Amino acid sequence: MKSITKTFPGVIANDKIDLEVAQGSIHALLGENGAGKSTLMKILYGIYTPEEGKIFFNGQEIRVPNPRAAIRLGIGMVHQEFHLVPSLTVSENIALGYELIRNGLVDRKAQRRRIAEIIEHFGFKLPLEKPIAELPVGVQQQVEIIKLLYRKAEILILDEPTSVLTPQEVDNLFGVLQNLREQGKTIIYITHKLREVKKICDFATILRRGRVVGRVRVADVTERELANLMVGEQVIDYIFPRSGQVGEKKLVLERVSAIDDRGILALKEVTFTVNAGEIVGVAGVQGSGQSELVEVISGLIHPAKGKIWLNGKDITRASPRQRREIGLAIIPEKRKEQGLNLNTNVVENVISTRYYKSPFSRWLTLFDRPAEKFAQRIVSEFSITMSSLKSKVENLSGGNQQKVIVGREMIEQPDVLIAAYPTRGLDVSAAQFVRETMIRRRDQGGAILLISADLDELFAVSDRILILYEGQIVGETKPDETSFEKVGLLMTGHFHAS
Amino acid sequence: MNIDPLTNVLFAALRVMTPLLLAALAGLISQRVNLLNIALEGLMLFGAFFAVVFGAKFNSPWLGLFFSIVFTTLITFIYALSIIELRANLIVAGLAINILAVGLTSYLLVVMFNARGAYSPSDLVSLPHLNLPLLKDIAILGKVFSGHGVLVYVSWILAGLCSVFLYRTPQGIHLRAVGERPEAAETAGINVKGIQYLALLLGGVLCALAGAQLAIGDLTIFNDSMINGRGFIALAAVFFGAGKPGLTTLGCFLFGLFEILQFRLQTSANIPPQLPQMLPYLIVVLTLTAISFQKKFTKRMAG
Amino acid sequence: MQAELPHLDPAASQINVEDSAEQIPSAILSLSRMLLTLFIALLMGALVIWISGKNPVEAYRALLQASLGSRTAIANSLLAATPILFTGMAAAIAFRAGIFNVGVEGSLYLGGFAAAWVGFTFTTLPPLLIIPLSLLTAGIVGGVWCYFPAILRSRLQVDELVTTILLNYVAILFTEYLVNGPFLVPGLANAMSPQISESARLLRLLPPSQLNASFLFALLAALFTIYLMTRTKFGYEIRMVGDNPQFARWSGINVVNVIEKVMVYGGIFGGLAGAGQVMGVHYRFIAGFSSGLAFTGITVALLVRNSPLGVLLASLLFGMLRSGSATMEIMTDVPRDLIRVLEATIIFFAAIEFGNLLWRRHREH
Repeated sequence: MKSITKTFPGVIANDKIDLEVAQGSIHALLGENGAGKSTLMKILYGIYTPEEGKIFFNGQEIRVPNPRAAIRLGIGMVHQEFHLVPSLTVSENIALGYELIRNGLVDRKAQRRRIAEIIEHFGFKLPLEKPIAELPVGVQQQVEIIKLLYRKAEILILDEPTSVLTPQEVDNLFGVLQNLREQGKTIIYITHKLREVKKICDFATILRRGRVVGRVRVADVTERELANLMVGEQVIDYIFPRSGQVGEKKLVLERVSAIDDRGILALKEVTFTVNAGEIVGVAGVQGSGQSELVEVISGLIHPAKGKIWLNGKDITRASPRQRREIGLAIIPEKRKEQGLNLNTNVVENVISTRYYKSPFSRWLTLFDRPAEKFAQRIVSEFSITMSSLKSKVENLSGGNQQKVIVGREMIEQPDVLIAAYPTRGLDVSAAQFVRETMIRRRDQGGAILLISADLDELFAVSDRILILYEGQIVGETKPDETSFEKVGLLMTGHFHAS
Repeated sequence: MNIDPLTNVLFAALRVMTPLLLAALAGLISQRVNLLNIALEGLMLFGAFFAVVFGAKFNSPWLGLFFSIVFTTLITFIYALSIIELRANLIVAGLAINILAVGLTSYLLVVMFNARGAYSPSDLVSLPHLNLPLLKDIAILGKVFSGHGVLVYVSWILAGLCSVFLYRTPQGIHLRAVGERPEAAETAGINVKGIQYLALLLGGVLCALAGAQLAIGDLTIFNDSMINGRGFIALAAVFFGAGKPGLTTLGCFLFGLFEILQFRLQTSANIPPQLPQMLPYLIVVLTLTAISFQKKFTKRMAG
Repeated sequence: MQAELPHLDPAASQINVEDSAEQIPSAILSLSRMLLTLFIALLMGALVIWISGKNPVEAYRALLQASLGSRTAIANSLLAATPILFTGMAAAIAFRAGIFNVGVEGSLYLGGFAAAWVGFTFTTLPPLLIIPLSLLTAGIVGGVWCYFPAILRSRLQVDELVTTILLNYVAILFTEYLVNGPFLVPGLANAMSPQISESARLLRLLPPSQLNASFLFALLAALFTIYLMTRTKFGYEIRMVGDNPQFARWSGINVVNVIEKVMVYGGIFGGLAGAGQVMGVHYRFIAGFSSGLAFTGITVALLVRNSPLGVLLASLLFGMLRSGSATMEIMTDVPRDLIRVLEATIIFFAAIEFGNLLWRRHREH
């Protein structure tokens, strides 16, 4: 792939990327979340079309307008969420869309025969007639791979294949991949897990922020060097002064475990404290349990185990409103879905957490003027630009939308603030403004838990940093006592001390 | 021992089950592509109406059946178009079809036949009943299974075909894929929209048959409340059967049995008819509740 | 396989301004949309009339004459509008919160019966006592009836659409049983309850029309609902939950509570609508007395995109249509069922509008 460029509104996902993959190799595409790995492969698989760039396959230029075309060219992709139909059997899933037909009916026998051939040839073992829903995830993934082989794929793209596997299943997978490599297949392995890259991959291309930052032969580098390439040199333009004094415990989590909406344990015995006058940052790759952490502290879900204290009170079973009453403010992860009502104006958005209290309402009635004054105060204090107070929030820019949320949550000096990715998608000045606001609040005695995907930000703003990996706190450190590299290693599952 | 009452009940239950079964099959196919078909009720009414009207016009129940299928499917096509292409809200559109059915059929009934509420063309014969040659002489089985109307037998055949269709034909497999994991279907190159149209249109045909059975299957009569919620009871059967044709058929049979038993009870015992009539609806509500309960429970258990 | 319905959002319709049309005041835009829908419906109706060999112009003229042509005609239109005011508000409130409460018809029947029961049981009470008592009972019964599907939805996520439709049948059958069984009045052709006492009857406002005090109650209820939606905390909560339930939860709004309240509110109004019919028009409970009154309410709410003021105006309009259609039938031979056809067309177009709004919004995220 040469000079591939792909943009989405507001962001350059792939910036003139060159990728070369040798046949019969396992090639890792390495990078943090948002680095552009998935996007690049989706271009190869025909889900996206690049603005610029060309793709060459075996020396010939090719065009991939859609996945069907990719399959025809011999390119196959196994996505993170499998594209398997639960009630269909293994063989039906493998043959989906490419069935063998006899007399209008599916020729099960012939299909089974052909699949059995492939399975044997590549050394798999699968129960062909069981419905997918009954099989463990590791086996399902194998089915996905066989699907590709059934369609005669030569290049197999695997997107974060081990994110849903147990360690044993991972070993199984690696055996399979080595087998495939011996048979001459080419595998592109998207991941952020360094240990795996070292274990199974021959080459690696490292992406950061949409650009290629390194091309290596895996045998020639150490995990540390890979980590460095992934997270980059420590480039902090501005470090805020660290906290003057740290006060009492404001937010305490004790052995909190939580289940996500798929029924999987997303937080495992998480324990930490946030004190008054400090900012605690949480670093971790996407999917380490951050969403569940925010939800469990906010009261949207109840922990399966453990306790939470806020301002000294046990809030484990308290409702979101009760928590806010005790002193919690939340900047949620998803600005549009969780933080705002896009369909209405700024005034109605900023009173959403306090409309039921005086002076905004009394008995049944809601008063307009106090709400408007309040909104006006937020708009000026947080420098929000808009045409009028009455215009719909969905017409505001992303940065201003975020400021509405930040304003709403911080204007009344909350004791404890949970901020989830508060500067995501903001331009530099808006992001800086948000950070300054948090620092100011901290200096006034607020306790802030900051979850961010931006290590620069975490290092600049936090007094302490916790590293979250697969639902557990695997490390705690102070930004002045550590480095990007060390944090990067912890984030990606490398636990051993430097 | 005289088991005539028993065989009579079974015979009647099989007869009564037919429109339910046909509508349930329609609902089942729609459900398998994840398009809840609320319009079964209205489409059945259309089916009944067209069957009577065209039957009377050509003085042939077969032509009535034929045109019923044609016109009901046409209306289903408009319904499908609005949902699939115009992205109409599935439920509201279904509601519209149901109200349209009631309004339009009543309207046309007055305009065409000067009849308000009910219409029974005197010289239209019903669809034939079949006395199955060998079966009719076998003692018990003959009494129960022989002598039904054509559409009754057709409905059983269709139930079987439905099973074959869903599990053995490529289109059926694709249909199930579209309903369960549209992303998987898309990447497999399946024409999702085409499958959705297919499902709804097949449903339209089945609803036409269901309505026709009610209108010209035994007596030839149309009246504007003749469907009486069967469209929703059929949905109940679909939920009961969890999308499997065999279980759904069983559900329809049970509901048919209920209906007959309730009729018999009316005449013999002194239970007012409305009370047993309420049961199917309550059962569905309970079933839906149980399903949701189970979902919540299993989630809590996990991890 | 789950009995899962695609997620519905009947509230995804509150006056939405297109990006390109930002200059046009949103109110005018939505008004013109409604008028357009109405116009298309009338066109459909005209088509149907024309196909059946009648003259649409004549028919519509007769309709207009019969609904507005004289004092009595107007009174009759207001009479027909009365229950629709109630059911329209009931539907609009629920839809605005994103809840598809189709169970108002059931509340209508049960509430109507409850009012009748009070009326023919406590025959010795004076009007000042029995009228409020009847209304109260009707409202409570109607509200409680909608409470069951409400908690199924709010706590177990059982989709309220299917449950409310099915429960309607249960309510209709149950009241039918009551008047055919325990409360049967022997010797009458139609199943109906005994008459309510004189004191329980609502005042006639403009004889010879049957327009009665229930119209005033309906008007009051409508005005209260307008106030509720625009000026109260509850109205704010309804709107936030309807626009973005996740946002509401994250902000601390008790969404479960809001859902239950709107459905019960709808049930109460349904009960009052039934009571109005019983106490003001028929003076007894007649099985099957509602010719889809709750569904007309739904149509109205869908047409005006849940705006309470719009419901007020549209209910009057539909009252006109309903009352005028009976005379139209007599004068021009165009059956009154045409109104149902108009309703269906309006709902159909509302379906397309909703679906598209939802889809566009889904795409933006």
